[in-house]
Amino acid sequence: MTKKMKIRIAEIIILLIALLVVPLFVKNNYYLLVFNRILINAIVVLGLNFITGLTGQMNLGMAGIFALGAYASALITRYANISPWVGLLLAIAVGWVIGQCLGYPSLRVKGVYLSLTTIGFAEVIRLMFSNLTDITGGTQGMRNIEPYSLFGFKFDTQGKMYYLFFVITAFGFFIAWRIVYSKWGRVFKSLRDNAEAVEMSGVDIADVKIKAFTICAIYGAVAGALYAHFMGYINPSTFTIDMSTNFVIMLLIGGLGSVIGNIFGAIIVTILPEMLRFLDDYYLITFSIIVLLGAIFFPNGWVDAVVRLGKKTINIISDKRAENGKAVSR
Amino acid sequence: MSSILKASNVTKKFKGLVAVDDLDFDMKDNTIHSLIGPNGAGKTTTVNLITGVHDLTSGSVEFDGKIISGLPTYKIARSGIGRTFQNIKIFSSMTVLENIMVGGHEQAKLGLVRGVFDFKASKAEEKKLREKAEEILNKIGMYELKDKLMKNLPYGRQKISEIGRAMMNDPILILLDEPAAGLNPSERAELIQVITKTHREGFSYFLIEHNMDVVMNISDYITVLNFGRKIAEGTPKEVQNNEEVIKAYLGNKYVTKKKVSGEV
Repeated sequence: MTKKMKIRIAEIIILLIALLVVPLFVKNNYYLLVFNRILINAIVVLGLNFITGLTGQMNLGMAGIFALGAYASALITRYANISPWVGLLLAIAVGWVIGQCLGYPSLRVKGVYLSLTTIGFAEVIRLMFSNLTDITGGTQGMRNIEPYSLFGFKFDTQGKMYYLFFVITAFGFFIAWRIVYSKWGRVFKSLRDNAEAVEMSGVDIADVKIKAFTICAIYGAVAGALYAHFMGYINPSTFTIDMSTNFVIMLLIGGLGSVIGNIFGAIIVTILPEMLRFLDDYYLITFSIIVLLGAIFFPNGWVDAVVRLGKKTINIISDKRAENGKAVSR
Repeated sequence: MSSILKASNVTKKFKGLVAVDDLDFDMKDNTIHSLIGPNGAGKTTTVNLITGVHDLTSGSVEFDGKIISGLPTYKIARSGIGRTFQNIKIFSSMTVLENIMVGGHEQAKLGLVRGVFDFKASKAEEKKLREKAEEILNKIGMYELKDKLMKNLPYGRQKISEIGRAMMNDPILILLDEPAAGLNPSERAELIQVITKTHREGFSYFLIEHNMDVVMNISDYITVLNFGRKIAEGTPKEVQNNEEVIKAYLGNKYVTKKKVSGEV
């Protein structure tokens, strides 16, 4: 193991510990709630990255996937009266099925038309849940969804849930990282640039596209399931196109294709509106303007912009030093 | 010499237009076989038929003793045919090395789930793939450029990189669709060098080209198309002196002129 790798691992461990002790210091429930939302959103964005970030297909139906995960888990825990963990497994299965089904049209439909297809999908799901009143409670929503528990330990406060979601998000991050920086991530990215050339390399592009959609949908459905048991209450009117676009904004702000960027995107877009709440009526428009300006000036995402700025300043400083050094030696 | 690529009665009709009409050719193993013809003769269509981009209207294509017409493109590619494109198709947002490595995706057999959890195997596989890609980059003289973004490379390099990407799959045959189009003379010379060098190492090439410099220099055998129909075939010398070919390229006038000057 090289020295560089050791430093890397040490950095990661320190970061993990720092993030794990957060609830010990932050006692405010509201802050913890925001942190939990960030973690859930991060899972969705990690998944969305595979479709919209890597293979470059605009998926505006993430809310539909999210809703299916949430309702699948909530309904099975309610009616079969079993542990939410089974609900989570069901959500994974549901995600797999959605991925296979949604991946199919993506083979035929491209660009804007695919975006419309995904929007349509999400709307169908939303309307379905609002109209299946007998089962889902319709627009009244489902109340008192049981929280997660492990060997009798109930994750019923925001602080406890934070740990649970943190572990799951970290695991999701690990998997996403491993896939994105492997031959699969590379082939996903190459699909965005030129599908025909990929096919001529002997790659079954239909299979690869469906794989990307499946990963995306599993992430979305898992996040949805977590959301249901985290909020304890779900309502179809939450899962609108606004939610889908919000996920895409997170992805864009974090930077397409970058796994670390996904996390930062989720953090920024979840926190920013909360921080702007003091603006009352104007907070949404302010937020929109900030996002718009970001899209114009930092098209590669904010994280990329900050990294570039950092590199630039370091270069300038080191250049100056070099110049000074020369002047002295002369 | 055994035949490697054989087209029998290949016909392609786009609605009323007959793009390729009853084409027969037989490409021998370990040769550079060129397909030439004026614009719109159906050359690129022929390549698209071979690689399964278009379906044949009738006829069949045989590669290495097996019928490949009717198979999907990726299966044809896996059977040992590589290809470059007339309008280059590269992965512009990725580095040169990554571009080449995508070509070897199918060579790495590790599945998605195992790739995530089996650190050792995935690392070994990635290393193998990278080493192979680097070796190929060396072969095509682009090793120094491996970490550059593809979109920042000059056009000629991008075109040559496509050959490298095709080589990742260990093909027996590489189809080059107008590799010299848009290249300047020095890039063209380099391209010829890459083709002849790799040909000596065992790759067979099926070449479509407008640039007669390239075609006449490196081809072993030439098939000439005009309006989708084969009008001549033979060695470069034979084709150069073929009346039909001269007529197709230059018009009737030049056929007689040449004869007169030949007599004198």
